[in-house]
Amino acid sequence: MFRTLNQRISGVLLILAIVYLLLAYQLPSFAYTEIDADVVPKGLGYILVALSIGLFFSKDSETDEQKARRKIPKKDILILLAVFAFVFVYIFFLEILGFIVTTAIFIFGCSWFLGYRKYLVGALVAILFPLFMYLTFTQFLKINLPQGILPF
Amino acid sequence: MNAIEGMLTGFQVAFSIEGIMFVLIGVLVGTFIGMLPGLGPISAIAVMIPITFGMDPAPALVMMAGVYYGAIFGGSTSSILLNAPGVSGTVATAFDGYPMAQQGKAGKALAIAAISSFVGGTVSVVLLMLFAPMLSSVAISFDPPAYFALMFLGLTAITSLSEGSTIKALISAVVGFMVVTIGIDPQTGTQRFTFGNVNLLEGIDFLVIALGLFALAEVCTLIINRKDLSFDNKHKLGSLKISKEEFKEMRGPMTRQSFLGFILGVLPGAGATIASFIGYITEKRISKKPEEFGKGSVKGLAAPETANNAATSGAFVPLLSLGIPGSGTTAVMLGAFLVLGVQPGPLLMTDRPEIFWGIIASMYIGNVFLLILNLPLIPYISKILKIPRPLLISLVIMFSIIGVYAISFNTFDLYMLLLFGVVGFLMRLFSFPAPPFILAFILGGMMEQAFRQSLTISNGSFMVFVESPIALCLLILGLLSFVFPMIGYLRRSKKTKQG
Repeated sequence: MFRTLNQRISGVLLILAIVYLLLAYQLPSFAYTEIDADVVPKGLGYILVALSIGLFFSKDSETDEQKARRKIPKKDILILLAVFAFVFVYIFFLEILGFIVTTAIFIFGCSWFLGYRKYLVGALVAILFPLFMYLTFTQFLKINLPQGILPF
Repeated sequence: MNAIEGMLTGFQVAFSIEGIMFVLIGVLVGTFIGMLPGLGPISAIAVMIPITFGMDPAPALVMMAGVYYGAIFGGSTSSILLNAPGVSGTVATAFDGYPMAQQGKAGKALAIAAISSFVGGTVSVVLLMLFAPMLSSVAISFDPPAYFALMFLGLTAITSLSEGSTIKALISAVVGFMVVTIGIDPQTGTQRFTFGNVNLLEGIDFLVIALGLFALAEVCTLIINRKDLSFDNKHKLGSLKISKEEFKEMRGPMTRQSFLGFILGVLPGAGATIASFIGYITEKRISKKPEEFGKGSVKGLAAPETANNAATSGAFVPLLSLGIPGSGTTAVMLGAFLVLGVQPGPLLMTDRPEIFWGIIASMYIGNVFLLILNLPLIPYISKILKIPRPLLISLVIMFSIIGVYAISFNTFDLYMLLLFGVVGFLMRLFSFPAPPFILAFILGGMMEQAFRQSLTISNGSFMVFVESPIALCLLILGLLSFVFPMIGYLRRSKKTKQG
């Protein structure tokens, strides 16, 4: 049933639409409101159901260039996943170690991982950029960034 | 306040030391980010928004506008030098700009691009100055049904004009609208789709969406393409001089495309990309030597460059006077306005003249700055293309993280950012256009409000949308914007069947 790519995507979207609709039907309603908070979500849910069905039957209209975009070597997918994992770890430690420390480690580590081998330049950028951004935000813009383990 | 007084107020803002400084920062940052292949004006604006927190709205918005047209201006450099457009509005620039560069005339191509961008940008600011107040005075009488219809038209236009499948663009818009329903409903106070999570009560911030769907998704593409597109120094720029004959050739396309580009920019859904393609095609069609196009034609380079910059100013007309963006980029601009507590719309001109006219007046100065940046300084500025990709990728991620953290101060939003980065990348992979998503996300809240207000006025009768003549016309236009591409599609498929 889900043979073409469009059909598979439409299946995913249909599930999304149904879950959204189920949640929309659970929204509490109030008396005396002409148009309650559930009207628009319900409408959107049904529109998405209709559009997913439309996508199921629509022919593939992608250009070759668009199709080529999906041909990613396996190695690159792993690299992408790794970078996402780095960002996840970065966010996790941001408030614990502070902005400057986590960002410096992230910039140096991430660019090294992606193939940058000029260590001195990498280290300089990794230290100076977060420091500059931190000072700009905390001193000039008066917006606090996580201080973490550093004394300033 | 009449237009002349307004313009004087505007110039006061734009010519203050603060004004000049922020225009310069805006266009400089815009040029840099626009030049980097992969990073578009949406990312440029979204990354810069946190810098404006706590700033006075007038200079802040002057700067943000500068980032926007600076990015379109700067995008042409990488189109010409690398054949890798920095922004989608400069794709057509590469058609003739890159062949010129290959012939050793890169300097000349950059100069032509800079001058036509300057002319397109400046002529269209004059038009913006004339038309935005006119539209404001008409829009002041719009009632909720008319506003709803106007936003509906904006959404349908952007979906039908998006590249690729219309149904995918529609799905993108509907999902964007769904995401904005998360949080407390502003009219009844009902919690919708929050799953009891405190962090979701106020909904998802638009910066999370803009930086996730655009900046982070663009980073993913950069990671995959990190090895190609290095700009080597062997590429000589050559002289920047333009001969008299060449200047004569440019005159026609520059005049025509300034006006055409502006009009296309005003229309909902069109914008710089479409304007530049239409500009290129019309000039090719009316040219006596169409065979020169694509081989380094002066006209073929001047046309899209004039048109895309003219369209950028044109796009400010609906944004400033109606408060309704017509494209993904102006939707993010609207977000920048709202972050600073400024609601653009028909009242902006009378309530906050310093902002309304300040932005317009600053564009004259911004365009002059851009001309200076892009003509004598271009050999130095183009060195930014040599930034090693791995460093660039890490820095863009850092900017996105700061942007979101500085607005929410919690890591929950950062995880959401990461999630939308994945969504944005998957959308790119499967050819779902992202601009309809962001436009629907920005317009969604306002649309729902206008929709419910209209129905409350009419006691629930849908006739309210048909009884107001303005609303009716706009709704019909919105529906037509779907029907026309469909007729074209059916005709084409009939022809291919017959052929």
